[in-house]
Amino acid sequence: MTLAFSKDAVQRALSGHAAIGLLASALLYLICLTGTVVVFYQEWQRIEQPNAPEMAAIAPDAVQRAVTAVLATETDKPATTHLYVHMPVDGLPRTTITTDHQAVHVTADGRIAGPEENAWSEFLLGAHYALNIPGLVGMTIVGIFGVMILALSLSGIVAHPRIFRDAFRLRARDNHGVGLADWHNRLSVWTLPFSLAIALTGSMIGLGVVGAYGLAAAFYKNDVEAAYAPIFGEEAAPDATPAPLANVAAPLAWLAKNHPDLRPTYIILHDPRTRGQHIQLIAEHPRRLIYGETYQFGADGTYHGKVGLSDGHLGQQLAASTYNLHFGNYGGLPVKLAYIIFGLALTIVVATGTSIWLGKRQRRGLHEPRLRAGWDGVIWGIPLALTITFLARILLGNGAPLIAIFWTLTIAIPLLAIVVRPQPRPKALLQRLLVGTLVAAIAATLAAAAGLTG
Amino acid sequence: MSETAPLVWIGAAGAVAAVLQLRRAWSLPRRSAAANGIGWALMLAGAALALAGDGAWGLAVASLAGMTSAALLLAHAGWSAPKGKGRASDRKAHMLPEAGEPRHIGRRLLTFLLTVPLAFAASLLAALGARSLAGIAGWSDADGNAMTLLLVPLLWGILAFWLLMLPRRRSQFTWLAVPATIGLGLIWIGGAL
Repeated sequence: MTLAFSKDAVQRALSGHAAIGLLASALLYLICLTGTVVVFYQEWQRIEQPNAPEMAAIAPDAVQRAVTAVLATETDKPATTHLYVHMPVDGLPRTTITTDHQAVHVTADGRIAGPEENAWSEFLLGAHYALNIPGLVGMTIVGIFGVMILALSLSGIVAHPRIFRDAFRLRARDNHGVGLADWHNRLSVWTLPFSLAIALTGSMIGLGVVGAYGLAAAFYKNDVEAAYAPIFGEEAAPDATPAPLANVAAPLAWLAKNHPDLRPTYIILHDPRTRGQHIQLIAEHPRRLIYGETYQFGADGTYHGKVGLSDGHLGQQLAASTYNLHFGNYGGLPVKLAYIIFGLALTIVVATGTSIWLGKRQRRGLHEPRLRAGWDGVIWGIPLALTITFLARILLGNGAPLIAIFWTLTIAIPLLAIVVRPQPRPKALLQRLLVGTLVAAIAATLAAAAGLTG
Repeated sequence: MSETAPLVWIGAAGAVAAVLQLRRAWSLPRRSAAANGIGWALMLAGAALALAGDGAWGLAVASLAGMTSAALLLAHAGWSAPKGKGRASDRKAHMLPEAGEPRHIGRRLLTFLLTVPLAFAASLLAALGARSLAGIAGWSDADGNAMTLLLVPLLWGILAFWLLMLPRRRSQFTWLAVPATIGLGLIWIGGAL
């Protein structure tokens, strides 16, 4: 199959492809790499804190006891506006309660076991979601990069008329750029459905707030919550009058009785111990892309209805499907492994894109060792920074300044490569450092785990 | 995945068969519309069966199966590739000026402004216009709003690509103005302005 485009169109597409690719390359590479690693978000949390209590399920009464116990530790603090109970699921069989002030693991009988310590997993998620930039700015920037992947996919197809015809040709052992170009083109063709799905869902998530502000401005008198409400449901009106703690056990019992095939994943208690408190129970539906259905309950545990993410309007089902489709948590370990492979492929496509461009310039006689060294610093420096950050988490504990370490290294490594050591190329040195740090990180993790069990 | 509908597995098998057939078709010495057609038909049939079996979840699983089989074939192609002496492309992408070439910084900056902030604004207006049209057509707010959230990045990506494909500034401005104006008009007709 050969696509028929004019020579001019092909050249313009190549220029556009290069322009977007080079403009986005370093941060896009970072987003793709962290996105690949964060597929194992649940597993990283278990590695970070191997001694947290685990359970296949937890009884409703135990959850009630745990919520009571957690709130009892916060009587001297401002009242929490939300309380989340993470229910045990296959990938993360732990019960964790999060309030505005703390996050703790609880035992299967509802006692507080200790604080949740997953700083590296949270840092990693934050790096992918928002480049660790607080607020909505980071998410929006990452969303823009999703749009760039869409534009890169389209321009890449037009810029390479034989891209489908050659889809099974991989001259991996060719030097002088042929092999590199083949890796770039083949991986991008065969991961195209994945890349488009990831880019579209990622940009929907990242730019969702911007879209919602637009909807609010045009149709909801600037009320952003009102724009989201038709999709994800409304928040009930708060009433701060003190009241006894809501019955959190009843919704769990209701779900077990009425929908034994569904698995609760989250309980959200809004405005606990006030007259306005109410409960949302999120339950996972098997073999669906939606993250779950939201079942709503009053403070006494009576069922008030569901939002409709599972069987309501198509728009609700579509919006609720973006998260699982993006993060690959809809089919257990096999799907996660597939996402790791395709995510890695997308990361390689991004990395090789700039390398191909540099190679072409070199073949035309332009020798730019500093530019090449800077790109080496990005490709190998970012995974090195990520690994050192993980090592710091294991060695220094949950309070290690992970964001500062990561971003200092991520910026410093390419700069040092450009300024201090452009030649000989820093690639081999950075690769050796990466392997050494990976080995050290694995050894430190095993030693920490052995220290716990020994 | 133990209770996965049989149709999903058949659909996944169809996607794998489609990849194998396309590999055969694209390696023929002459282009064969029939061989290509069988490959794409298998792909479509596999997708349709998986969709019928377990909806969007089934489709996602079947497409992962197809991509995995392609990845395995590629791995084999890479592994068994002989050491070649092919000459790599040195096509110019015209991204950075070469020795003696003008920098065209103003032109590049304008292209950035057109494809990033202005294309975003045009896409947002077009998406909101579509939302307004959906409201007029009687769609629910949930469907209209979700469509808007989907359309903003989708239209922006397509528009940014298309603007870069246009050879003249004038056509670029036209392609920005048309969706923005139609979007604004629809928002106004819908009564939001």
